[in-house]
Amino acid sequence: MKLHYYPGCTLKEKTTNLDESTYAAMKMLGYELVEPENWTCCGAEFPLNEEKIVGLAAPARILRQVEMEGGDKVVTACAFCFNVLKQTHIALLNDPLKQKRINAYLKDDIRIDPVTKERTTDFPEYRGDVQVLHLLEFIQKEIGYEKVRSLIRRDLGNLRAAPYYGCRLLRPKGETGIDEPDDPSIFEEFLESIGIGVVDFPFKQECCGSYLSVSLPDAASEVSYRILRSAKLNGADMVVLSCPLCYYNLDRRQDRIREKFLEFTGMPVLFFTQILAWALGVEAEILGLDQHFFDPRPVLGITDKAEVAS
Amino acid sequence: MSKIPVEVKDKSSKKKTGGPAGTEAMVPIFVMGKRYEVPASLTIQKALEYAGYQLVRGCGCRGGICGACGTVYRFPGSYRIEVGLACQTVVEPDMYITQIPFFPANKAVYDIEKLEPTGSTVAALYPEIFKCVGCGTCTRSCPMDIDVMEYISRAIRGDVAGAAELSFDCVMCGLCSARCPAEEAQYNIGILCRRLYGRHIAPRAKHVNKVVDLIEKGKFQKGLEKLKRMKMAELKKIYNEREIEPDMAEEYWEPEDKTFIIVE
Repeated sequence: MKLHYYPGCTLKEKTTNLDESTYAAMKMLGYELVEPENWTCCGAEFPLNEEKIVGLAAPARILRQVEMEGGDKVVTACAFCFNVLKQTHIALLNDPLKQKRINAYLKDDIRIDPVTKERTTDFPEYRGDVQVLHLLEFIQKEIGYEKVRSLIRRDLGNLRAAPYYGCRLLRPKGETGIDEPDDPSIFEEFLESIGIGVVDFPFKQECCGSYLSVSLPDAASEVSYRILRSAKLNGADMVVLSCPLCYYNLDRRQDRIREKFLEFTGMPVLFFTQILAWALGVEAEILGLDQHFFDPRPVLGITDKAEVAS
Repeated sequence: MSKIPVEVKDKSSKKKTGGPAGTEAMVPIFVMGKRYEVPASLTIQKALEYAGYQLVRGCGCRGGICGACGTVYRFPGSYRIEVGLACQTVVEPDMYITQIPFFPANKAVYDIEKLEPTGSTVAALYPEIFKCVGCGTCTRSCPMDIDVMEYISRAIRGDVAGAAELSFDCVMCGLCSARCPAEEAQYNIGILCRRLYGRHIAPRAKHVNKVVDLIEKGKFQKGLEKLKRMKMAELKKIYNEREIEPDMAEEYWEPEDKTFIIVE
């Protein structure tokens, strides 16, 4: 079955492991992912300033393209892209004036074929009918945990994973969240469905430090460390998440965390699509497991590959 | 939604008619707000000169390649800003014209040998690329019909080869940059991607190495020595009698004398 999928820029550059594992897992679940043509960056941050309407142009264009291609929904694996697209969808749905302004602007789009130089103009209005779903939601609502359970090929029963939500999947409350921000369970349900042990830990909705990683890296690694330590103290073998920035702070920053907190010995951090694809029987080579700072292959029992790589 | 084919820029044939016999029709244009009557067949560049402007800058090749004469114009009653190269665009009645021969743009300095062909490289040299909001104004401002937003979008996501390919027709006129709300220098990002592609991604041309090798081994030495010893008249004769590839030659046309042809 064909399904519109918006990957986002980070998944094509810094976290290709999230993109590739998403393709692999969804193929096993019977879906062929289709990227909307000519997609651009979604903006990464939803413009909170009401007047900064230009920030809605790019995400609205992406939604319009899905609509033009006959889609009624689009899924994302990146928590940031999900947040921006979903908030844009809601903003346009609830505010007819905003929708009118954006449509008036986007109508004048020009698209030029690089080979024939043929120009496409006079674009249709975006009607606002495209549903934005995070892949975790899509699995819950459209595929169903029973189906996932029936397709599991690898037994992960001896492993325990800590689901890390971060902020973007859940907030702002009542608008974009895929679950109740104060007491979410969708990630736990997902992990249960793939047969892995689930660890509950108090830091699962804490901020990872986000962009402080750029301006105040020490502050970011401190909060990231708290999250990883809490997961570890509660018996997790790995942290599972969906956000490329959380992944950066929790995995790639472990070098800095180790320098600062000597007792920290490291923790595998995986994207939910990687563990899903692995459980569904996808070969390890195409999951980008070699891109991680803390090698997750030993904990998954892929020891020989880990030796080859190191 | 509709698709329209490439506009033919030369509209002179339409405009020439209508004047008294033997004279050319004149059209009014406005240069920086001032009205001039100019012959209808002229390009904007020639019309500016006809009107008395002396172009010292902003008039490079006059052939649509160098990108020095980026121009914006509007027609009365239309909100749309139109763009073109002054040397390629024929005047139309009531055009309000201003030429933007140079637009200051951020230009990174780099040693191409030391760079990797990745999105991180582009982002490090032009961090403002992430300010792009996807408004699409750049694409609407390109006189070369390049989907500028699309190649910037490729560069943002690290697809250097894609950005290089899509920006290939760029003449560096700077109109995209002039109109960008995010203050990008799209064309400098485009040429960075093309350089990265050329130096680090495109496969090396093995046949060139082979030919260089043959030259070094002296394949052409005898012939050159022979030419050097010839009298001028003799040289002229063999030059004029040389075999020339016909205008409409087949793709695999080969000359009769294959002495210096290198077969792969």
